[in-house]
Amino acid sequence: MAKKLGKKARKFANKHLQGGAKRSRKLRSQFNRRTRKDGKGREDGGRLDGDGDEEMRRSEPTMNTQEDVATLANSLEFPEDENEFDGDLSDSDGYLSEDPECPHYSDSEDGDVVKDCIVKDGLDGQNNEMNLAVKKQKKKLKKLLDKDPEFANFLGKWESELVSHESDEDSDEQDEMDSGDDGVDAGDKNPPSDKILTSKTISEWCQLVSKDPKAPALRNLLNAFRDACRFGLHSNSLSTQRLQSTEVFYQIITFILSEADNIFRSLLDIPDDDKGKLMNLRNGQKWQDVEPLIKSYLRNCLDLLSQLTDNQILTNVLTRLRASAVYFSAYPSTSRRLLKILVHFWASGDQSLSLSSFLMIREVVSLLPDCLDLCLTKGYNTYLSSSKLVDNRNIKNIDLFMNCLVELYSLDVQKSSERAATSVGQLSAILRQVSKSKEKEDLLKIDNWQYINCINLWVRFICVNYKDCHNVHSLLSSVAQIIRGVAYLLPGMRYLPLRLKLAQMLNELLNCNQMFFPVPSLIFGCLEFREIFQKEQTEKTNIHFSSLLKVPRNLLKSRDFQEQCILSAIEVLSAHFAQWSYHVAFPEVATIPLILLKRLHEQTTIDSLHRPLKRLIDQVSENRDFVQRKREVVSFSPNDMSSVESFLEDEKMSGNASFTQYYESVSKNRQSRGRKFV
Amino acid sequence: MGKSSKKNKVILAPPLPPELDDDEIVVSEDDFDFVKENPEHACSIARQDIKAFDKFVTRVADHDDEKVELLYEERERKRRAAAALKPRNDDELEVDPVDALPVKTLDGNVVYNRPAKKARSGDEANGVKSRSQDKGAGATQGSQKEPKGRSNKKEDSKLQNVQSPTEVPKENLHSVVLEEVKEELSSDELFEKKKAQLAELGMALLEDPESNIRSLNDLLILCNDMDQKIVQLGIMSLLAVFRDIIPSYRIRQLTEKELAVEVSKEVKKTRYYEYTLIRSYKAYLQKLIALEKQPYFYLVAVRCLCSLLDAAPHFNFRESLLASVVKNLSSSNDVARKLCCEAIRSLFRNEGKHRGEATIESVRLIAAHVKLHDCQLHPDSIEVCLSLKFDEDLGKDDSKEDKLKPKKNKRYQNRDVTKPSEKKKIKKEMLSKARQEVRADLRAVSFTLDPKEKKMIQRETLAALFETYFRILKHSMNTSRYKTTSVFPGGSHPLLAPCLEGLGKFSHLIDLDFMSELIACLKKLSGYTDHQGEILPDNALSVSERLQCCIVAFKVWRSNLEALNVDLQDFFVQLYNLILEYRPDRDHGEVLADALKTLLWEGKQQDMLRAAAFIKRLATFALSFGSAEAISALITLKHLLQKNTKCRNMLENDAGGGSLSSLVAKYAPEAKDPYLSGALATVLWELSLLQKHYDPSVSGMASNVLSMANLNATQNPVQLSSANPLEAYNDLSMGRELSKPAGKVLTLKCKRKRRSKEFVALSPDVLRKADCTVGEDELREKLQSHFAVLRGISENERLRTELNHTLSSINMYKEYKKQKKQSKKSRIGRKKVTRA
Repeated sequence: MAKKLGKKARKFANKHLQGGAKRSRKLRSQFNRRTRKDGKGREDGGRLDGDGDEEMRRSEPTMNTQEDVATLANSLEFPEDENEFDGDLSDSDGYLSEDPECPHYSDSEDGDVVKDCIVKDGLDGQNNEMNLAVKKQKKKLKKLLDKDPEFANFLGKWESELVSHESDEDSDEQDEMDSGDDGVDAGDKNPPSDKILTSKTISEWCQLVSKDPKAPALRNLLNAFRDACRFGLHSNSLSTQRLQSTEVFYQIITFILSEADNIFRSLLDIPDDDKGKLMNLRNGQKWQDVEPLIKSYLRNCLDLLSQLTDNQILTNVLTRLRASAVYFSAYPSTSRRLLKILVHFWASGDQSLSLSSFLMIREVVSLLPDCLDLCLTKGYNTYLSSSKLVDNRNIKNIDLFMNCLVELYSLDVQKSSERAATSVGQLSAILRQVSKSKEKEDLLKIDNWQYINCINLWVRFICVNYKDCHNVHSLLSSVAQIIRGVAYLLPGMRYLPLRLKLAQMLNELLNCNQMFFPVPSLIFGCLEFREIFQKEQTEKTNIHFSSLLKVPRNLLKSRDFQEQCILSAIEVLSAHFAQWSYHVAFPEVATIPLILLKRLHEQTTIDSLHRPLKRLIDQVSENRDFVQRKREVVSFSPNDMSSVESFLEDEKMSGNASFTQYYESVSKNRQSRGRKFV
Repeated sequence: MGKSSKKNKVILAPPLPPELDDDEIVVSEDDFDFVKENPEHACSIARQDIKAFDKFVTRVADHDDEKVELLYEERERKRRAAAALKPRNDDELEVDPVDALPVKTLDGNVVYNRPAKKARSGDEANGVKSRSQDKGAGATQGSQKEPKGRSNKKEDSKLQNVQSPTEVPKENLHSVVLEEVKEELSSDELFEKKKAQLAELGMALLEDPESNIRSLNDLLILCNDMDQKIVQLGIMSLLAVFRDIIPSYRIRQLTEKELAVEVSKEVKKTRYYEYTLIRSYKAYLQKLIALEKQPYFYLVAVRCLCSLLDAAPHFNFRESLLASVVKNLSSSNDVARKLCCEAIRSLFRNEGKHRGEATIESVRLIAAHVKLHDCQLHPDSIEVCLSLKFDEDLGKDDSKEDKLKPKKNKRYQNRDVTKPSEKKKIKKEMLSKARQEVRADLRAVSFTLDPKEKKMIQRETLAALFETYFRILKHSMNTSRYKTTSVFPGGSHPLLAPCLEGLGKFSHLIDLDFMSELIACLKKLSGYTDHQGEILPDNALSVSERLQCCIVAFKVWRSNLEALNVDLQDFFVQLYNLILEYRPDRDHGEVLADALKTLLWEGKQQDMLRAAAFIKRLATFALSFGSAEAISALITLKHLLQKNTKCRNMLENDAGGGSLSSLVAKYAPEAKDPYLSGALATVLWELSLLQKHYDPSVSGMASNVLSMANLNATQNPVQLSSANPLEAYNDLSMGRELSKPAGKVLTLKCKRKRRSKEFVALSPDVLRKADCTVGEDELREKLQSHFAVLRGISENERLRTELNHTLSSINMYKEYKKQKKQSKKSRIGRKKVTRA
């Protein structure tokens, strides 16, 4: 449906709208995406190394073996099942036979006209002009006809010819576009009413329905909803004629969306979204009665979703629709269609829309576990393609997307850990391949956001699920190895932002499994004193490490870069220290970093760094002395593991040692700084 | 019509040589080898010969038929004259001398080319070429010499001399004609021709160097061509020729006395041959050295020089060859540098070729070069010296011989005393005299050196080598205070790293006299200062270099049987401090691991205090760096603990700081002096944390070390691996780890399959945000505008179709009118027809 609409809208815009083209492009930018074949869309999205299909084949989940590794390209995506499914709902168009008893009011709606003028758009002017032109030309034609009555006959003949010709063409086109949707008025015994819906009528129906959910007006309302949802799909269809005013449109949509769920619930007598109960009901009489209504409602909601373009409205619709998620579970293939639309919204970039569509996905998937695979694959692939480019603007979105994806993957840890293993295997194979050749082009395979974001995703996934699943434990070591490998293959100051990111990931990983990793060794490079060669600049260059993998060469020696460097290093170091601040060996952990920090503190010429450096040094020294004092009085030896574990256990629990508090303030600072950027 | 017949004449007239079966053609092995070795050469012959000749012939035929006819007649006359002069050699003359050249056909067979037509025209081409080359000086002479050079072996020069006077006037006419012909030729054809000529000359030389030795001159002349490509080809062909014909002995300059003496013809001939060879070889080298300065020929010239050096290190003019190759050792061009390095290396490896003389010469040249450039050269220029081979037994053999000799003599004397038979004695003396003479002759002929000579050469080489090394060390020391910007890799001391490596490698050969100075040098270079507690910030040497200095010092000391009374304590102090200076990305971990291995792991028992200090520092070090560094530190640590049993106290938390506490009561982790660190009083808490190391081999090693606490002083824990620190480092380094096959991620059953509905990754903060919805008014407005847009679009579409329809209806009116007219016309026409 969406495809079709998109085609039509684009065709139309291309043909006629010079001025409106821009606007419609803006409005419906996502349609372009949707109309393309999925694989093609990804390819266009800036794939690094072309031929998508082949790579898709390569990245089969069974590719952990050595031979496959050899042929491995850069593709990280999971293969997608491209089968188009059509089922359940699409056989009917959702038209419901109406009760003719319902009141219709055909009052003149003067108010609407006025109101419509307020919502003016670029087309109105053009429409008016064209209206005039049509009138003029018609007059001319009439004159001609008057002059020569024989011409009327000739014209009539020609027109009939034209019609027959057009209908041929039309049917062709229709077949091409969508064969399922022709039967709007064909074959229906009870043809849909073509009465114009008025505001008054709708309010009356709404009142009736809210009083009694079983009222026949519900059918009328749902039909009106259907028309509203499909408005604009066929310019000459009845639905377009039935809806004339914006007010009516608004009324129908809002009422149905906000009330439908309650109405159906009361019809079915289910108080909350209890899936089991719904399933039990499915064979009952009640379900049989209500089912067509629900079907129509759901189907039209899908149409509406694919029609709407405004993020806020979509968010709103999704929020409303989430309550009815349970009904979707009755129609798996419709759910799939819904999920596809939702995944698209999820990646759209708007925070609230993304979040609400994710919540909807999660709702549907938790009710319909069969769809989980689809969502995992689609979500993962979308994540990869949307995380190819990172800048200051989309960092938050990518982060949110990643968190959502982790949520989704955490729904079924067993299943997703297999997927994770596949993906991590691919990452590792790419790394190995690169480490073999070490050529510049090959290095680009790991020196890109897609790769790093992919690692980050699995790091987050492992952290969240570490306690629950053993599979994740084995994943952890390979992910840690990948992180170290990337750091090893991309040395040098230029990659410092990347390095900091890797260090953060490592910190995250180690926090969850309580293993020791010498994270500071990754960032000792930052703590070296370097001269600043850049002259004083009047304008401050803004460097945000969060959106960089490597620093532009011209900034390498700038003051800002160094400042950023050291501040980020302080964060990473304090995270590392915080992890071990209660360990008996803390003084030794801190020894070498402290020496470096002190030296840097003495040498640095950047004044703004003195204070944070001094603060970290003081805090670490204080904690070191504290641990030293404590361990002087204990009697156990280093090889007494259990005693070592229980050392300072109480303090750790209470968590109010000064270093813990310091670390909290540092991480809070970071968050606030991060917020400032966005 | 007449012209065409003439044309035919030119093509048909030359008498065809007798047809030969393939079987009859004898291809020598040398030819095959040459073809194999120089495929491009052979191919060029195969490609160019026939085509070029054909082209030439046809072209001549196309353009100046009269002249060609002249040519033809000329040739006939010449032939008749020659036939008249040499009736005896009739049989030989049938085959044109040029036809001796085999030609490789396109399918790869080497065939003796017989058609005289081609040979003849090729001959003429040569004539043209050589005349154009040395114009003025002797256009006639050049052409006169030509046939001589390529004349049949059995023809003597006398016969030629007789022939030439008769030929001169004809040749003049001949040349005038050809000059004109030449002008017609385009540069392309000239190029092809020259190429063919090169190939021809080269083949002739290879086939029979002795009689064709003069062609070298022609080849050299070709190398002066204007066309750069020809020059390139020329020097390449000369290279191939020289590589092949250079004799395995050195040609000596004849003394005047020798020249004065009458010699036989044979000797004269040989002398002439050698003289020509030497002269052209010299000219060739000069040409190469000149060309080397031009960027276009640089690579080719260097390649030729290297190849010559490789092929003929024993031959004359080795000095100039070596000089230019050594100069290019430090070339900024990677390819040229690699070539030169390889050439010098092969020189060092195959000393048999030149009796080691070239080795010493090149080492001396390198030394001079280093001196000249003030040590600012590419590291490769020193690195080649690492391939030098020194016979370690030489010194010993000498002493043994010395010892043996007196014994023998004694026995001899005894025997002499017991058997004073005069006759026998005389006989023996004569015998030994004869033997000695024979031996001397043999030695002169063969390349084997007698040990003394060999030893002498090696000593000289060593002296030159160490001179270079010391120069570099001194230079590094003196300039460490100021920074010099260098274009070569390796910081301001590009040569230091290979120099240290070389010192380490040849440490056993260093003279004991130098030793103390060397050690002092190294000490200074490693950054040691008398002022404690201060690191020179302007010390330009990197940590790796300083570590390497320590390693070399130890190697030198150890390879001299540790007999040296040198205090190496300072190097330990250096290492102790350098451990803290190590940075994983900047410095080479292998060097550190090597230092640990050389200084601590291989060493004998350490001082207890020092051992304790190192143990503590290594443990701390292991906490801050990657697993490869950690494992090498842990292995060293374990070794130290095994050797110094008393230090095992550090594994236990002995209340009160332990009985062994040293003078310093409190541990100072940053201490510069291991003796003042007070490490003995500390506990190795690090190990408890290292047990939690993510790398299983590190954590395993840590627990292994910890287990020593429970053992007796004499007992040692189970050996985990016998690797030394360096091996362990390399084993765990990231590069190695990535080359190992990936471990398959196991999939196990989970405890909990499904998670309930709680959120895990998203913060509740974010989730709350999701629920806030848009205000009603806003929603209304947006929905309405959405509707309005849709309606606008559909309205627009409807109107447009209507407009189009109306417009086309109006347009139809014209059509309608036309039809009407036509029908009218036809009606009128019909009427006319009917009327008619």
